[in-house]
Amino acid sequence: MRIRNRQDFATGLFFIAIGLGAYWIAADYPMGTAMRPDTGVLPKALAWLLAGTGIILAGKSLVADGPHLTEWAWRPALMITLATIAFALLVDRVGLAVTMLVSMTLAAFGTPETRWREYALFAIFMVVLGVVVFILGLGMPIRILPQGLSWR
Amino acid sequence: MALDGLLANLALGLSVAATMQNLMWCLMGAVIGTAVGVLPGVGPVATMALLLPVTYVLPADGALIMLAGIYYGAQYGGSTTAILVNLPGESSSVVTTLDGYQMARQGRAGPALAIAAIGSFFAGCVATILIAAAAPPLTRLAQQFAPADYFSLMVLGLVFSIVLARGSIIKAFGMVFLGMLLGLVGTDVNTGNLRFTFGISDLFDGLGFVPLAMGIFGIAEIIANLTNPERRDLVSSKVSNLWPSREDFRRSRGPILRGTILGSVLGLLPGGGAVLGSFSAYTLEKKVSKTPEKFGTGMIEGVAGPESANNAAAQTSFIPMLTLGIPSNAVMAMMIGGMMIHGIIPGPQVMEQRPGLFWGMIVSMWFGNLMLIILNLPMIGLWVRLLLVPYRLLAIAVLFFCCIGVYSLNNSANEVLFIAGFGLLGYLLIKLDCEPAPLLLGFILGPMMEVYMRRAMLLSRGDPWVFFQRPLSFAFLVLAGILLLLVVLPAIRKGRETAFQE
Repeated sequence: MRIRNRQDFATGLFFIAIGLGAYWIAADYPMGTAMRPDTGVLPKALAWLLAGTGIILAGKSLVADGPHLTEWAWRPALMITLATIAFALLVDRVGLAVTMLVSMTLAAFGTPETRWREYALFAIFMVVLGVVVFILGLGMPIRILPQGLSWR
Repeated sequence: MALDGLLANLALGLSVAATMQNLMWCLMGAVIGTAVGVLPGVGPVATMALLLPVTYVLPADGALIMLAGIYYGAQYGGSTTAILVNLPGESSSVVTTLDGYQMARQGRAGPALAIAAIGSFFAGCVATILIAAAAPPLTRLAQQFAPADYFSLMVLGLVFSIVLARGSIIKAFGMVFLGMLLGLVGTDVNTGNLRFTFGISDLFDGLGFVPLAMGIFGIAEIIANLTNPERRDLVSSKVSNLWPSREDFRRSRGPILRGTILGSVLGLLPGGGAVLGSFSAYTLEKKVSKTPEKFGTGMIEGVAGPESANNAAAQTSFIPMLTLGIPSNAVMAMMIGGMMIHGIIPGPQVMEQRPGLFWGMIVSMWFGNLMLIILNLPMIGLWVRLLLVPYRLLAIAVLFFCCIGVYSLNNSANEVLFIAGFGLLGYLLIKLDCEPAPLLLGFILGPMMEVYMRRAMLLSRGDPWVFFQRPLSFAFLVLAGILLLLVVLPAIRKGRETAFQE
């Protein structure tokens, strides 16, 4: 047995995994009656449909040729995700200015094209813009600076 | 009599749209729309998602007028980048790069830009009239819908989005199912039971549409775009000689007309909209041309047709949303989000309960188009300058705006964590070549379908045949069945593939 279409095969496995997982979680949701369908009807039906779609897709990928999976872009995927998580974890704790600097710098590591001097100027511009527009202008309830350096 | 009514409605709309305030919001939408249209990698969906929280402080009509302006404004801006830089500023101007950029290289960027704007303007005007004419009868029809009819109509909508999705049909099915599953997360409104919440209290109210759309369209696009460093070959930042020649006008007349008609029809279809419109119009122009082999070498027809079609489609896609309350694409889902923020339940009742808002929004589209043609032709040099911002910086700015935008929805940092997850999901989908549009439609329609299914079953005392006994419902289901059969038949599937490849 040879996988002739890796992209479809991977997609099929992905659908099957989500479908089975959803069914497993939804297994004890009540089904109700035909007149009053309960919580479990649609989740279970969709779980089956999704898994079924995955099986068809994976099956087809063994028969028909198709594209391979292209290289994963680990660096931007990792750094952009980290930058987003950093924003979420920091924003309520250390204020907007520090949050932005940390998050944006992580994102800047996401591409080898970053020119650091240009980035430094840009980062200062963005922090000023962010504080002026979102805190001073729109009045969002976020601190500007960390508590120790108190200013709002 | 019908004409009188139409005029009265338009007059009412005019009185709302022409107030100083609303003209300003319209201009604001048009300017923002043009900017995101010009910038590659920043789309209208993510932008509208960002601005949804901001519209909270605006009056409802101003908010919706601005949001609408962003969408059709982006269609204008997208062509600028396509013609001058050979990059689609918007996915709906992909085909414009083919001939538009060639024209620019021959020193004819001016006429290409002008024809794109004039075509868009013409299409925008026609589509505005079309919306005004089609809305009342459709609304009257929709008022007779029973729950079963709504359910079947949504089935038809999802089938359309599958059929019209780019690439594999099977994957599009999977995307719809996955989207519906995601839509079920949270509290079941009928029974109060929790579904797929994993005990996380942030999930009890369900997944937010804005974080989902922003992750899948905003964050995932950033990751994908940073992977392939783009090269921007700006032809020249100075565009001279804007006005097209008499010959240009003569050659563009037909394509603009055909593009407008084709785009208007395709915009109505769920899952259709601007992208499909422009692709089909290009194919059509190539088919009717006496010199199809010359396409790709700078034919003005290849700019005029698609650019008219995408603007027409962008606007007619408002029709199902305004009359039935059903979104036909991700942007319309955003519009519905905008209405909900202001406590307006989308559906046929909007036209009767809020006529000022309804007609004001429609008339504002005409104003918006007028503003856009002024914004885009004499001021083109300004927009071109936006392109000097390199993507490596733009990406960081967009990421920040996504984060702060989602945070500001509920001042909740946890929702920002969600967009990190959805971003990775979106990147995975890009890698697997699964188009996210059907997923988003399933996400919106899934929970609505469940509500209507339950009502229909209750009314019919548990008899599932109700979906086939009501004539409207039956017609929708039969149409959905025919569509599915058509795409499964190999001959037509082949035709569809070539249409999308072109």
